[in-house]
Amino acid sequence: MAYQLYRNTTLGNSLQESLDELIQTQQITPQLALQVLLQFDKAINTALANRVRNRVNFRGSLNTYRFCDNVWTFVLNDVEFREVTDLVKVDKVKIVACDGKSESTQNKVDK
Amino acid sequence: MDESALERYFDDSIAGDSSFLLGEELGPESLDPAHSQQDSALQAVKAGSGAELGDELDLSFLPDDLGPQEEPDRHDDTAGGPAEALNVSGDSGVFTDFISQDSTAANSQQGGALLTHSTSPFCPMTPMTPMTPMTPVMERSGIIPQLQNIVSTVNLSCPLDLKFIALQARNAEYNPKRFAAVIMRIREPRTTALIFSSGKMVCTGAKSEEQSRLAARKYARVVQKLGFPAHFLEFKIQNMVASCDICFPIRLEGLVLKHQQFCSYEPELFPGLIYRMVKPRIVLLIFVSGKVVLTGAKERAEIYEAFENIYPILRGFKKQ
Repeated sequence: MAYQLYRNTTLGNSLQESLDELIQTQQITPQLALQVLLQFDKAINTALANRVRNRVNFRGSLNTYRFCDNVWTFVLNDVEFREVTDLVKVDKVKIVACDGKSESTQNKVDK
Repeated sequence: MDESALERYFDDSIAGDSSFLLGEELGPESLDPAHSQQDSALQAVKAGSGAELGDELDLSFLPDDLGPQEEPDRHDDTAGGPAEALNVSGDSGVFTDFISQDSTAANSQQGGALLTHSTSPFCPMTPMTPMTPMTPVMERSGIIPQLQNIVSTVNLSCPLDLKFIALQARNAEYNPKRFAAVIMRIREPRTTALIFSSGKMVCTGAKSEEQSRLAARKYARVVQKLGFPAHFLEFKIQNMVASCDICFPIRLEGLVLKHQQFCSYEPELFPGLIYRMVKPRIVLLIFVSGKVVLTGAKERAEIYEAFENIYPILRGFKKQ
């Protein structure tokens, strides 16, 4: 099973809101909405793994870190996100990172 | 505890072994009243003869943990200020010895001999002082090993939910597949703690005994704030590591030939000579450059004693 990490992104949230609307108007069942979200998880994971090529560098100072259940959570301050083209500066960023290994290890983790 | 160890060390290094015995008697009596009374006078004295004494005893290396051991929190909050103040009081402790020795022994020659670091033999303070065989005053190193790492353990004496701690506390790592403890870090004092589900904790990385205890208390407070009934039982320093530079190169091969029952030296494996001193039980890593690492101590005094034992030996193997 793929990480449900990407449901709380702009894309994922838009999808969830749309699904909620459809459920409200009785056009789909909640079970179907859940299946849609699971398919979204698979799709976004494979898309990011296979179709994304660009690279972003970032640098900041570490405020806190956490590692539990194989998930890293960082809070950085005064961060500069640098891509070849442009630069973005932020005061605070929270990074949640899951292990980027193959499907087999993911299955083991889920059990 | 730290202060008495350092005072004894200074007594020993200033006046040789004989006054080590005398210093023990003088120490507690003369230092405490003298501290408060003679601080200002001592500053003047220090300014006057600071240059001469500074050549022999590099007092700028004084450990920062001298002086009255007050509340650990207070000690921590004002680390910068009192560190210098404590250095000063440490200095004045040395001078107090001078002045008290001068007044009690009325042997100004001794003071003069020490200040100018002459080669005249050291005179005992009183005729009744036993003359035990000792390393001569010229071999006194004037170098103080600096503590680099302290490892301590403490028992919080309550079972802990490590996953809960890892999820709630900041700066924590928990990977039970790899290691069955939460690894937590704090910035001041900069230390790392291993917290186990039994409630036992290991604290590493502090540079002094008091900092180690303070850090351990901070970790205990974090655990307590998360809702566990944490206590602070059996805090014990398990290991102390110190290092220093004796400022001359050493003939390690010669040393291993002469002291082979204590030394092990495999330059193809590790460039340092491993000297296992029997009394005190300290392991020293001795390098060609003259850098020495001392480890295995439970007390600061053991480090100082081991270094004073090894220094004359190393002087004998100086590379010309």
